[in-house]
Amino acid sequence: MRAVSSDFAPPLKLISPFFSTGVVFYLLAMGALLFFSPDFAYAQMDVAGWVHLFLLGFVMMIIFGAMAQLIPVVLETGHAVVDVYYVIFPLLLVGVIGMVAGFWLAPALLPYGGLLVLVAMIIFAVENIATLKKTTIRTLTVDTVAWSNGFLLLGILTGFAIALGLSGDLSVNVGLMLKAHVYAVVGGYVVLTIIGLSLILIPMFSLAHGFDEKPIRIAFKLVVAGVGVVFFGALLGLEWLMYLGYAVNTAGILFYLWQIWLIARLTVRKELDIWAKSMLFAFGSLVLSIVLGILFFLSGKDNLLHASVWFLLMGFIASMITGHLYKIVPFLVWFERFAPLVGKKKVPMLHEMYSKEGAAMMFWFTAAGVVLGGFGLLVLSDILFKAGASFLFMGAVFLFVTMRKMLAYGRE
Amino acid sequence: MCDITKEMVYDAISTVIDPEVGFNLVEMGLIYDAIIDEKCNVHVVMTLSTQGCPLHQMITTWVKEAVERIEGVGEVEVEVVWEPAWNISMAHDNVKQALAGM
Repeated sequence: MRAVSSDFAPPLKLISPFFSTGVVFYLLAMGALLFFSPDFAYAQMDVAGWVHLFLLGFVMMIIFGAMAQLIPVVLETGHAVVDVYYVIFPLLLVGVIGMVAGFWLAPALLPYGGLLVLVAMIIFAVENIATLKKTTIRTLTVDTVAWSNGFLLLGILTGFAIALGLSGDLSVNVGLMLKAHVYAVVGGYVVLTIIGLSLILIPMFSLAHGFDEKPIRIAFKLVVAGVGVVFFGALLGLEWLMYLGYAVNTAGILFYLWQIWLIARLTVRKELDIWAKSMLFAFGSLVLSIVLGILFFLSGKDNLLHASVWFLLMGFIASMITGHLYKIVPFLVWFERFAPLVGKKKVPMLHEMYSKEGAAMMFWFTAAGVVLGGFGLLVLSDILFKAGASFLFMGAVFLFVTMRKMLAYGRE
Repeated sequence: MCDITKEMVYDAISTVIDPEVGFNLVEMGLIYDAIIDEKCNVHVVMTLSTQGCPLHQMITTWVKEAVERIEGVGEVEVEVVWEPAWNISMAHDNVKQALAGM
């Protein structure tokens, strides 16, 4: 018999701050979009501030909370020291606020915020590595946890080098270091983590069985190799090496999409709930992002790159996260408050623990916002971009409200 | 001689509901066998719809407790197996209809 993951489930009070705070940062990030125009440049401090608000405050905050719950499921062993998540949360929270304030208001805060985030991420990565050492199983998902944490450490180090470079304390090529940093964190950590967890979560929620896993194994190797090549290409200033890495990564993502297609074909559950809709939208956005990315490399037009990154971040990554929140959060609340009552009194089903209407509003506002905003970036239309940002903000409000209700469900 | 039947064990287990899909474990086809010896000890052989299920231990505990509620039952053991792997064809028709429209 395989090991039992629920033995090691951390308490809701440890995980819920990551989710509730992550959603607040998402709401703030969507609100902040209203103050941007589509003709931005990556080097702008306010753009860097927004990217960190979104990626650190929302994406990483939610991933850290989710990993506190999912690591025992994936590795089939308990955390090495689960209580470190009580330390990681405030460090990340204050660090994100410090960094965003540093980018937007007071640059002097940047190294301090960066240092707090650095410490939070080091603790997270070291705890994950210590937990990895406890497990004897070797699955693809376990390998992705190991590699993604390695890339996270590289991303943290390059990020901190950038912060020191910007403050004048270290002599580094900030432009090249920035590319290495972005690739290590977004490609090496976020995308690799999503690939690894997809193999567990998507078949689990769709009840798909008996699919060939060869494409995702190839995808994993290609993404690891591609991120590594881009990272070192950026550090060494070798542009041709970086282009080779981009091509390898694109091939890896195409294999990943092939795997998702194989799983989708064997999906048993046909119900289009909020999770299924979000997955469809996420993968559609990923395809669009790849197409726009290829067009950018052929034409060199920046608006194509901006739209490609937009659909990757807002369409793929954000929808993957928000869609799964409607599965993971009800489960955590149910596990804490209702599981002990099974057999003693009537307990709710997981899908009864959130407002279907609220979730649907979140989805449609967000989907409309991503499409409008993406086309606003593509055709450099301020009005379209602002319209997209408005829809995204409304979607974020519905996410915030439904999340609050889910977390409060059954609370005495 | 034990008068507990396999049907009684399955009836008891059918009170255990998977909170994700909303169907009981028997309807889902997750219960492979229930072996009852002459001392009324029961050995339940079951599977789960996915190997990474975070409710793994809870579900097996619920099954054990449900069978233990049968009057006169002896020791109850629950064994989770992964072969044969579960698939939707093992579920009852109402589950197939509701989940997959089959």
